[in-house]
Amino acid sequence: MEALNLMPEILFYIISGMVLVSSVMVVASRNPITSAIFLVVDLFFVAALYASLGADFTAAVQVLVYAGAIVVLFVFVIMLLNLKPEALRGFRFTVGEALVLLITLTGFVIIATELAHAPPDIASPGNLGAAAIELAGGNTFVVGMRMFTAFLWPFEIASVLILLAIVACVMVAKKDKKSGLKGHIQSSGGN
Amino acid sequence: MNLGVDLTFLEFLASLPALVEWNDFTVGLVAFAVKFAILVGGLLQLPPLLVWIERRVPALMQRRRGPNRVGFFKWRLYGLMQSLADTIKLIFKEEVVPDGAHKVFYHLAPVFCVFPAFLVACAIPYGPDLLVFGHKIPLSVVRLDVGFLFILAISSLAVYGVSLAGWASNNKYSLMGSLRASAQMISYEIPLGMSLIPIVLIYGTLDLGKIVEAQTSLIHWGVFAAPFSFMIFLICMFAETNRAPFDLAEAEGELVAGFHTEYNSAKFAAFFLGEYVSMFVLSCLAATVFFGGWQVPFVPYETIVALAGSPNIAALAGIMMLLLKASFFMWVYIWVRWTLPRFRYDQLMSLGWKFMLPIGLANVVGTAVVLAVLRFK
Amino acid sequence: MNPYIPVIIVLIFGVLLGSILSGLAAFLGPKKYLKEKMDPYECGVPKVTSGSEKMSVKFYLTAILFILFDIETVFLYLWARTFDQLGWLGVVEVAMFVLVLVVGYIYVLKRGALEWD
Repeated sequence: MEALNLMPEILFYIISGMVLVSSVMVVASRNPITSAIFLVVDLFFVAALYASLGADFTAAVQVLVYAGAIVVLFVFVIMLLNLKPEALRGFRFTVGEALVLLITLTGFVIIATELAHAPPDIASPGNLGAAAIELAGGNTFVVGMRMFTAFLWPFEIASVLILLAIVACVMVAKKDKKSGLKGHIQSSGGN
Repeated sequence: MNLGVDLTFLEFLASLPALVEWNDFTVGLVAFAVKFAILVGGLLQLPPLLVWIERRVPALMQRRRGPNRVGFFKWRLYGLMQSLADTIKLIFKEEVVPDGAHKVFYHLAPVFCVFPAFLVACAIPYGPDLLVFGHKIPLSVVRLDVGFLFILAISSLAVYGVSLAGWASNNKYSLMGSLRASAQMISYEIPLGMSLIPIVLIYGTLDLGKIVEAQTSLIHWGVFAAPFSFMIFLICMFAETNRAPFDLAEAEGELVAGFHTEYNSAKFAAFFLGEYVSMFVLSCLAATVFFGGWQVPFVPYETIVALAGSPNIAALAGIMMLLLKASFFMWVYIWVRWTLPRFRYDQLMSLGWKFMLPIGLANVVGTAVVLAVLRFK
Repeated sequence: MNPYIPVIIVLIFGVLLGSILSGLAAFLGPKKYLKEKMDPYECGVPKVTSGSEKMSVKFYLTAILFILFDIETVFLYLWARTFDQLGWLGVVEVAMFVLVLVVGYIYVLKRGALEWD
């Protein structure tokens, strides 16, 4: 029975390990499609991590939106541009990439320190434990209630954000109204 | 534990249950294993059976004979053994991997087609709770609070099987077919998702088991509570599984066979398995959400339990009922395939984006307003 | 027991099953290499164009619009689950949300981004 009590922790380390391995593979693989598929695996295991913490809704949305929608777009773009591994250079940092890495690391440090100094009710499950959430009507319900009361404005602003994204992507994909969609991406050898 | 030499294997097996401490956890574990084994065993029988039906039924419709030769000695069983023969042949065929194919993804694509279908099949409630030695055992392999979203999320992963298959084959027909199929699948996923929102509004839960329990009588069935949802769902069912009239991906006349042009032998069978299992799952989902699932029409569950004297017999009746309802939808799949001609691709996409999407959204808003007026005064 | 542990077991099984089916083909059956046989299918003639054509940008547009409407659907699910408790307030909130997106949808429609020819 001791092993059973340890199971969540063992599970956590296994899943985290998978997340880390697949993340490294996303960056390290030479073929863009391989990267995309490892990204799917990665996002799937992140969802598993959420699920193991009792955040069912977040886990489902993680798979639905990230693994099932956003990476589909990546795959389409890779197919669209038909990137070949040989067309891509290997590991060499440009200034921009170094900057991105720096910003990411800074963000990571900030979040980590914030979490370390956060009041205990955020850092530890405490009053938001699995049993409490179950009693309140389940994870989806609790998230929904919070979203439509405390976080109403972010929710409404999200709609404007989505609207902007819609307009932007149509603007990019479709230059002018008369000529219809610019059928194909122009490049050497393209049809 | 003393394992004497005189203990036979059967005696050892019989003594096993006494060695285990039976609590909710161990019972759940054994129940999971048994349910899962039965479900997988059943699902693996589906493709041969359905292939046979799908050849016999159109033969009936078109006044042909269909397969009727293969059998054991003089028993021909209406050609039922044809599927068995086909399966054996498929498995022992030479595998032809085209030159220039991306080896890893060529082998991986069928995997991506198979596992989402099986995973979703596990979330369907196949019957009311069993009662074994005082332990309640729900008749779905996994029961989740986010049932609907889980099903939508996992089935959205099936796109990768299709797009990888086309991309890895190094064949332009495959690539075009896979791009068409995946664009079609994602386009119809939105109306599919939206068609289920009114159901959540009406029953107030995402848990499929609870939705079935709420559909106690005919008037509470989803199809009468949300008829537009059912229509949208029905259309999306065909599009999501790439079946006629939406089988643009394998438009034989122009794309040879779509994304699985370059697939043969057991890998081709794997695509078949994925397609038929997801057809079955969507049929079960339609029956569960819109036609009362395992509920027997006109006879409430309590009456059956009282008549049969045991919830287990009622559960059996429930499973039969669900399978009956699901087979109706499987029949609709085949019926429609041999009735309606194929769409053109631009028609398909504009149906999805210009008709289904606004109708789906209007359906959500309309249902919400009606329900709000009824419930909140 | 966490209800997702069965999910993981089923997932592993599904992947295994797919791999076994996929692998069966590689182990069973004869193997004979023939240049002509291994050519990508092209109705019997030698390959005319490669399998890696550039694809239409319309697929990309479809995918990105799909993401955006998918996110919208997720929000609607959250609201649908809490519909009874939120009452009219929720209906009004979501009506505003949907209204903004309908504007976007009409824009997409008017720009002809959903046309396929």
